[in-house]
Order: sequence, then structure tokens, then C-alpha cells
Amino acid sequence: MTAPNKVLPGFSASLWCQTGATPTPLTNAFLSTWTDHVEDIVGTSANGTGTGGEQLNVEAVPAFGQDDAVASFSVAGSRQSDKIPVQSAPTSMTITAAWNPSDAGLLLMRADAESGVIDRTFVVAAVAGTSTVAYAFNGRVSQFTIDPAPGAEAKCTFTVHPRGNQYGWSNT
Amino acid sequence: MAQMNPVQYGKAIQYHLSQIVAPVPVYAAFNRNFATQPKFVTWNLRNVHQPVYTGQNQNNKGIDTPIFQISIFTTEIEDGFTISNQILQSLHGYSGLFGGATNGFQVSKVDVDWLYNSYDNTEKMAQIFLDCTLDVPT
Repeated sequence: MTAPNKVLPGFSASLWCQTGATPTPLTNAFLSTWTDHVEDIVGTSANGTGTGGEQLNVEAVPAFGQDDAVASFSVAGSRQSDKIPVQSAPTSMTITAAWNPSDAGLLLMRADAESGVIDRTFVVAAVAGTSTVAYAFNGRVSQFTIDPAPGAEAKCTFTVHPRGNQYGWSNT
Repeated sequence: MAQMNPVQYGKAIQYHLSQIVAPVPVYAAFNRNFATQPKFVTWNLRNVHQPVYTGQNQNNKGIDTPIFQISIFTTEIEDGFTISNQILQSLHGYSGLFGGATNGFQVSKVDVDWLYNSYDNTEKMAQIFLDCTLDVPT
């Protein structure tokens, strides 16, 4: 199915991750393969199958994609220099969720942060009706904190650092 | 998490306020033009709202923070101030079971905001208004 041809609202984005304490992350090729791979992580409410994944109930999905970094080269006598993209790593995502101490997804994130070396496949699914665009990446979790400031729900914040060159786009 | 039923809020507010100001009667959204009692309290519930978060999961929400306004009517101005103090002392900063054993629920905090006092010359009744915010973990 082709990707939705419309402007999507931020509320349609959801974040999914592989289940299991020590998952096997998708290979680079499968990160951009919806059928049987990315769709297994995305749940039915976002048009996947959800057989090997679950939703992380987060407040909002932060900006995702690639960071910017360039090296500039100047050649004597040349009017214009050359900018070469370097180390444009996938963007780290700092994510805030309402803290429910029994939420299975947040418990996975807490355990991942405690370990620091668990590679897990995450998927951001942007949904429009029966169409879904998925950004899948492998990442590790760090900086898991809980902010119990009064006046609102306690907030749980964690950062997912993607592994270099391990992401892909797919859609259904 | 799931939205709590406003019916439950109403029952709990009615019970809890009645306990605090007894024997002064408490009414929900009472039309004060019909009042014949020298002292009474009414309440109105508003702003029942959990913040909603991203995605297709309907239960991906924050805590509910409903507000109910308490209106105190008395023929003697000082009586109204005294009743408002009873409510402040009992509710402001309260944490625990709200609304009694039968219809109550846990609140993590109650925040009372004493808004203003007034006087209605037609009805010859002094009035005091307070806003009370509940933090309800659901």
C-alpha cells in the first residue's frame, strides 16, 4: 500500500517497541520491511499485527530522523566550499510518559536503562486511517528518570539513543 | 488510564461536603432563589479533564483534575466566613479517601482556592465562593 498522501496530525503518531527482556533487534534490511518484520512490532490499532511488540504510552512522540553534522572543505581559489555530511547519526529521542508503575512498556524501558546494553527495535508509527508510515530503528535506553512534581501526574522520562546506520522507513 | 465516572464525583462531593459542614445543608447546583434556610452550601462540578496523549490508545491519558465550586449562602456574613474556614481547614491540602467508604475514591491532593465573598441585597444573603481542585490518580 502506498504511503498516505496528506498532512498528518501529531496525535496519530505512536511509539512501539519489541517485547522481551533481551530481544533480537531487526537487521538493517528488515528495519525497512513492513511485512512480517516491522508490522510484528506495531500493534493492530496502528495497522500492524503486534505479535512481537507493544505500545509505549508516551505523552508525545518527539522529533525523529537524523541529526545534522557536516565537515566543510575549502579549496584555495575556489569561491564555494564543500559541505560533506559526517556523523549524521539518527536523532536521540527524549521521551516523556505519564508514570504508571505497572505499565509493561515502561518497565521494559526501566530495565533497558538499568542494563544500558540492550539493543531493541523501536518503531514510530504515523497512522492515517488504514495507512501507516513506520520509522523503525534499533536503540538503547538511558537516563530513565521519574519526576514526581505535584500538581500533575508524575512524569517518567527516558532517552533512546539509536545505533548508527540502523534505521529504515516502511509503510502499509 | 480510564476516565472516572462524573456520577461518582458528584456522589463523593455531596457526601464529603455534607460531612464537613454538618448540620448545614448541602445541595448540588441549587437555585438559591428558593432558599429559605439561614445557612446552606451548594456545589457545581466543572473541568473534569484528563490530558490526552499521542496515539490510538484511548487510555493514554494523564490524571484527572476536576474542579468543583463551593458556594456558601448565609444570612449572617460571619457565619459564611466561619463555614468557609471549616472547609479550608478540612479540605485544603487533604490527601486520602475522598467521599466516604461507599462512593469515595482516593485523591492525591485537594487544593482549595478561596475566591471571594459577596452580598445579595435582594435575597439578603451573604455569599462566599471557593474553588476546589481534586487530583485523582485513575
